[in-house]
Amino acid sequence: MKTHTCSVSFTLNGEKKTFATRPDEKLLDLLRREGYKGTKYGCGQGTCGACTVIMDGRAVYACLLYAMQAEGRKVRTIESMGTYDKPAPIQQELVAAGAVQCGYCIPGIIMSATALMEAEKDISDETAKEYMDGNLCRCTGYEKIWVALRKTLDRAAAEPKKKASAKGGKK
Amino acid sequence: MKLCEFIRPESLAQARASLRKLGPKGMPLAGGTALHFMPGKTPVSAVDVTRLGLSYIRQKGNYFEIGAATPLSDIQRYRGPRWAMHEICRRISTHQIRNVSTIGGNICRVFPWADLPVVLLAMDAKMVIYSGKTKEMGADEYFSSQPARLFRGGDLLAAVKIPVLKAHHGFGSVKAARNAAAFSMVTIAALLELDGGVIKSARVAAGSAIPFPKRLRAVEAALVGKAPAAETFRAAASLANNDAKWCKQEGMSAEYVANLAEVSIVDALERAAEFARGRTA
Amino acid sequence: MKRHELAKNLKQVNTSVTKIDAMQLALGKDSYVADFLPKDALVIKMLWSPHAHARIKKMDVSKAEKMPGVKCVLWHGNVPRIVHCTAGQGFPEPSPYDTFMFDNKVRFVGDRVAAVAAETEEQALAALEAIKVEYEVLKPVFTLDEAMAPGAPVIHDEPEAHVPIPIVYEPKKNLVAHVACEAGSFKKGMAEADFTFDEMYETPYAQHCPIEPYTSMAQMTPAGRILITTSTQVPFHCRRIVARTLGIPVQKIRVVKPRIGGGFGCKQEILLEDVTAMFALRTGRPCLWRFDREETFRTGRTRHPFRIRLRTGVKKDGTITAIGLECINNTGAYGGHGLTVVSCSGGKTLPLYHCDNILFDGKSYYTNLPVGGAYRGFGATQAFFAIESLMDHMAEAIGMDPMKFRQINHIRPGEGSPIFQALGEGREGLPMTVGSNALAECIVQGAEAAGWEGRQDWRKKTGRYRRGIGMCCLMQGSSIPDIDMGAATIKINEDGSFNLNVGATDLGTGSDTVLAQIAAEELETTTDKMIVYSSDTDMTPFDVGAYASSTTYLSGEAVRKAAADAKRQILATGAEMLGLKVEEVHCEDAHVLNADGSKKVSYSDIANYSLYQKNQYQIIGTASHITKKSPPPFAAHFAEVEVDTLTGFVKVLNYVSTIDCGTAVNPTLCEGQTEGGTLNGISYALTEQYLFDEKGKMQNASFADYHIYSMRDRPPIKAILVPSYEDTGPFGAKSVSEICINGPAPAIGNAIYNATGARLNEFPFTPEKVLAAIKAVKK
Repeated sequence: MKTHTCSVSFTLNGEKKTFATRPDEKLLDLLRREGYKGTKYGCGQGTCGACTVIMDGRAVYACLLYAMQAEGRKVRTIESMGTYDKPAPIQQELVAAGAVQCGYCIPGIIMSATALMEAEKDISDETAKEYMDGNLCRCTGYEKIWVALRKTLDRAAAEPKKKASAKGGKK
Repeated sequence: MKLCEFIRPESLAQARASLRKLGPKGMPLAGGTALHFMPGKTPVSAVDVTRLGLSYIRQKGNYFEIGAATPLSDIQRYRGPRWAMHEICRRISTHQIRNVSTIGGNICRVFPWADLPVVLLAMDAKMVIYSGKTKEMGADEYFSSQPARLFRGGDLLAAVKIPVLKAHHGFGSVKAARNAAAFSMVTIAALLELDGGVIKSARVAAGSAIPFPKRLRAVEAALVGKAPAAETFRAAASLANNDAKWCKQEGMSAEYVANLAEVSIVDALERAAEFARGRTA
Repeated sequence: MKRHELAKNLKQVNTSVTKIDAMQLALGKDSYVADFLPKDALVIKMLWSPHAHARIKKMDVSKAEKMPGVKCVLWHGNVPRIVHCTAGQGFPEPSPYDTFMFDNKVRFVGDRVAAVAAETEEQALAALEAIKVEYEVLKPVFTLDEAMAPGAPVIHDEPEAHVPIPIVYEPKKNLVAHVACEAGSFKKGMAEADFTFDEMYETPYAQHCPIEPYTSMAQMTPAGRILITTSTQVPFHCRRIVARTLGIPVQKIRVVKPRIGGGFGCKQEILLEDVTAMFALRTGRPCLWRFDREETFRTGRTRHPFRIRLRTGVKKDGTITAIGLECINNTGAYGGHGLTVVSCSGGKTLPLYHCDNILFDGKSYYTNLPVGGAYRGFGATQAFFAIESLMDHMAEAIGMDPMKFRQINHIRPGEGSPIFQALGEGREGLPMTVGSNALAECIVQGAEAAGWEGRQDWRKKTGRYRRGIGMCCLMQGSSIPDIDMGAATIKINEDGSFNLNVGATDLGTGSDTVLAQIAAEELETTTDKMIVYSSDTDMTPFDVGAYASSTTYLSGEAVRKAAADAKRQILATGAEMLGLKVEEVHCEDAHVLNADGSKKVSYSDIANYSLYQKNQYQIIGTASHITKKSPPPFAAHFAEVEVDTLTGFVKVLNYVSTIDCGTAVNPTLCEGQTEGGTLNGISYALTEQYLFDEKGKMQNASFADYHIYSMRDRPPIKAILVPSYEDTGPFGAKSVSEICINGPAPAIGNAIYNATGARLNEFPFTPEKVLAAIKAVKK
C-alpha cells in the first residue's frame, strides 16, 4: 500500500542493507517498519531522544532525519547492542542500578551513552551530561541512570585495553 | 516541509547548478533540523550539502574557517587558541541536534531564537558565499535582514570565518533560557577590544527577544573610551532599549525581558572583560 | 525487635532484586503497544476542534470517505450517542457522564470532531483536511470566575449529562462537584488564635509527559471479538467503558496491557480505546491510534489547576487552632476526576497536623480548557503547596523554626483524624487511625542530609546570588478503602516455578517485580521463580488498576493471600508425600520439610507429584483483597536553592526526599519512584506550564517549549527511605509512588523565601514572578 519511490543503502548494525523508501520518510519510520522496533517514537519533534540511533559514531534523532540522509552512512540501533547472554556493559549497569523503570527512554539512553564512550576519553561529569541532555526520562529523575552511566564510564576508563578488544570483536 | 526528491550533488558547483535549476522548489539540506520548523505542503527537492567537504574547522592566519556544513557539536568540541565559539554551541538545543544541525543551517535562514547569528555579529565574522566563485560578506551586511535573500539564485554558504581573538580582545556570550536545552529567551554576545585599560572598540549583539538579531549600537558607543568596569557595563546596558524593542517570551512580559536583557548584557560584558584578562576556556 | 525492624529477616521482600523486565527493555525487545503492530494495520488520525466552545452546525465527511486509502470515517452522525465518563475509576464512577464518542458540540481546543482510519498516515491526514465542518462559535469560559459567574455560558447543556451516584452536580452552573465538611468549629478556632492568616494560592496546569505517548491498537480476533492492546493503567475499567460506549457486551472485548512507557495518571483514562475499537469493528482491520506529542499535551489529560483559599489560626506556643481549606479546581471541558481530586486535596492533606477545628470546602468547575485528570499526587500536590507554604509563614509569625513547628504538630502513630472519615472519594471515607508513621525520623534524617542546622534568616543574606533552604512535610494514602479491589492467582509448574497472574497494572513502576517478591516471600521461594503476567482481561483476575497508590498495598496483599492459599496446598501435598501431618511440616527454601529438616521434598517434586502422580490436581492459589484503611506514607522534603536576585532565575542545588513507605518491598525501586517523582515535582514547580492564546489554544505543546528536566538540568536528589512497618500491608508495606511529587513546589517556595524574603503564592516560579516578588520584599 505504501508507495516507495526511491531507495537508500546504508550499513545497519554492521550489515549493508538497501531499503525502498520515499524522500520524505523519516529514518525512524523506516527502521520500525523494517523490524528495528527497539528505536522508539516519543515526540517526533527531535526533543525526547527515545528514537536515538548512532550514525557515523554520533547520536542522532531518527525521528528528525530523513531516511535518505543515511545513504552510505553507518547506522547502529539498540538491536546491535547486546543480548540476554551478552548484554553491553551499559545495559548491564542500567539494569543493575534499577535505572530501567518504564524503559521507554532506555534504548535511546544506551545509544547516547555508547556514542559518548566511543567519542571521548577521560569523560568528566560535565561532558557526560552534555552528551546525555537530549534523552528525556520522566520516571527516574536520572539518578539511577547517572549512577549506571558513571560506573560504566569509570570501568571503561580503568580497562582501556579490554574495551578496545571487545569493540573490535563487535560489528 | 515535504520532500519529493533527494539530490546528492558531488561538488559545490553541482549543488549550485541543481538549486539554480530547481528555483523555489529546491532546498539545500544539511542536518535537516530546520525543515521541522518550516511548514508548507508544497513539495520541495532536497539538495544534500553534507557530502561536499564542507565540514571542517581550520585556523588560517587570523581566522578560523568553519565549513558551512560543520555540525555544532564539532564547534563545541573544537579547541583553538582563544577559541570562544564552544561557549554558545554547548548551549544550543540537545546533543543529538548539535550532532546534525550545522552552522550554515543556523544562519542561512535565521529563526528568531537563533543564537549563532548573535555571536557572529559580535565576532564580526565573515560569511563565505559561493556563487560560482567565492565572495566574503561581513556579518553586519549579512545579518542586515533575513539571509535567505542571498541564496535564492542557488548560491550557497560555503564557510564562516571567525577572527582569531588577540590578547587584548575579550569575548563573552550569555544565553538566558529556562533550562539547558531550551530555546533562548535572550541571547547576548559581546566583543571588547581593550587598549591600555580602556575599551577601544566594542561589538554587542542581541537576539531571541527581538524580532531579528542585531547589534546594540548605543550600548557599544557608551563603552568606547571607558574602563572595562562594572559601572561602565551597567550604564551601557541601560541604553539597550535604544536599539531593541524587547518582546514578551514564554508568558513573561516585555518589561521583564527588557530587564533580563539588560542584566544579560552586563553579564556578557563581564565575561568578555574576564576573557580579556586571560580566561581562555 | 523494634517495629520498624520487622522486615529485617525477610528474604525476598525488603531486597533490591533486579526488576524482572529490565533487561528485556534495555535490549529493546518488542514490549510496548506499537511494537506489536501488524503489517496490515490502519492508521487513525483525529480532526480536533480548533474552537474552545462551539456547536457543529454542519458536517460533511463524504469527500473524505472517498479519498485514497481511507477505510472509515467516524463522526457524531454515524456512531452511537452513549453518554459515558472517560475516567478509569471504580463503578459507578464518582464522576459525571458528560462525554460521547463524538458529539455535535466541542468544548475545548483539542476536542474530538471526526476520525479517519486509512492505510497510511499521509492518507489519513489528507482525509481530515477534506472534512467540512461548519461551527457556530459559542462564548468560551476560560477562568474559574467566568465559569462561576451568574449567566455563564453552559458548557454541558446536553440533557444526558448526569452523575451515576447521588452527589452534587449542577452542569447548568458549570459546577461539577461540591464537597464540604467541618470538624470542631472553624470559627471558634480562629477566635482562639493569637495570629490568623488568610491567603490565596494558585497552582498550574501540567501534563504527565510519559515518554511513550497515548497509544492504542484494536483488532478483530478470529472468534469475532475485539482485542484491544493499549497503553493503559486501567485495563478492566477500559473494557467496561469501551463496552458501554460502543453498546456491546463486555464479553466481546479483551484488553491487553503490554509494557507501558509511563503513565503517572494520564493513562487512567479511556481516551483512545473507544475509537480504535469502533474502527476495528467497522473495518475488520487492525487499527492503531497513537497521539503525537502535541496531541498528548492538548488533548491528553492534565493536572487540575487549583485556586485555594487557606485560612489558619495559630497560638504563640505553636498550637494550630483552626484550618480552613477552600479548594476550587478547574476540571476543564469534561468532569472526570473533578470531585475525587478536590476531595483528596483535603482528605490526603488535612490529617497531617493536629488541629481541632478544620473546615474544608471543595468545588470543581467546568471551563473550555484542557481536561483535568488523574495525576500523581491527585489534589494533594495542589493543596500541600498552600498548606506547607503557610506552615512556614505561621512559624515565622510565632518566631519558631519552621521545622520545629512541624515537629510539634504532625500526626503521631496511633492517632486518627476526623478528616479520614469525612472525606472519601465520592462518598464518606472510613474512620482510621494511623498505624505506621516514621515522619519524625524522616524530618530528622532529612534535616541532617540537607544541612538544616546551618540555615540562616534571609535578612542576613546579601549579594546577587542568594541561597536558601526550605522544607515541607507530606502524606498521601495507599489505595481507596472499601472501593478498590485487587486479585491474583498463582499456580505451580513442574520445575517449582510459579505463574503469578495479577490484574494489577505495571505501568513502568516495577509493580510486577514487587508483586513477585511478595509472592516469593510468602511461598518461601525466590523471586526468579515467578513468571508474572499482569492485566489481561481474558487471562488474569480483576484489579481496579494502577492508581491511588494502591498496587503494592492492595494488590500486593491480594498476591500475598493468593500465595498463602497456594502454600497451604503445597504444604498439604508435601506432607502427604512425606507421610507426615500438615502440622508437622513447614516451607523453607522452596522445600517442604519437617521440624528438624530430616525429611524434605522440593517444590518441584511436589509439583510433579500433584500434576502427574497421585491425587492429581493443580496447586493454584487465588485471592482478592479490599482494604479498610488507606495508610498514609509520610515524607519530609528539603530543597536548597540559589536565586539570582537580578533575573529571578532559581536553581535547585540539592534536594533531599525522605520517605516512610513502610517496608520498602524493593528499596531500589522505592528510591527510583521517589527520585523520579521528586524531579517531576521540581520541574513542575519551576519550568512546566501551559501557555494559552486568547482562543484557549495551548501555545507550547512540545518538549522544546514545555520544559521538563534533562540530565543536565537535574539537581542531585538524595532519596532516603525511612523504615516503618504497616501492619495492614503486605509484609509491612504501604504506598510509595505518589507522595514524592507533592514536595518540591512548597519546599522550593520556602527555600526561595529563605534565600530572599520573597513569598510566592503561585507557581511555576517563573523568573518574572520571582523577580517581582523579590522587588516587593520589605526589609
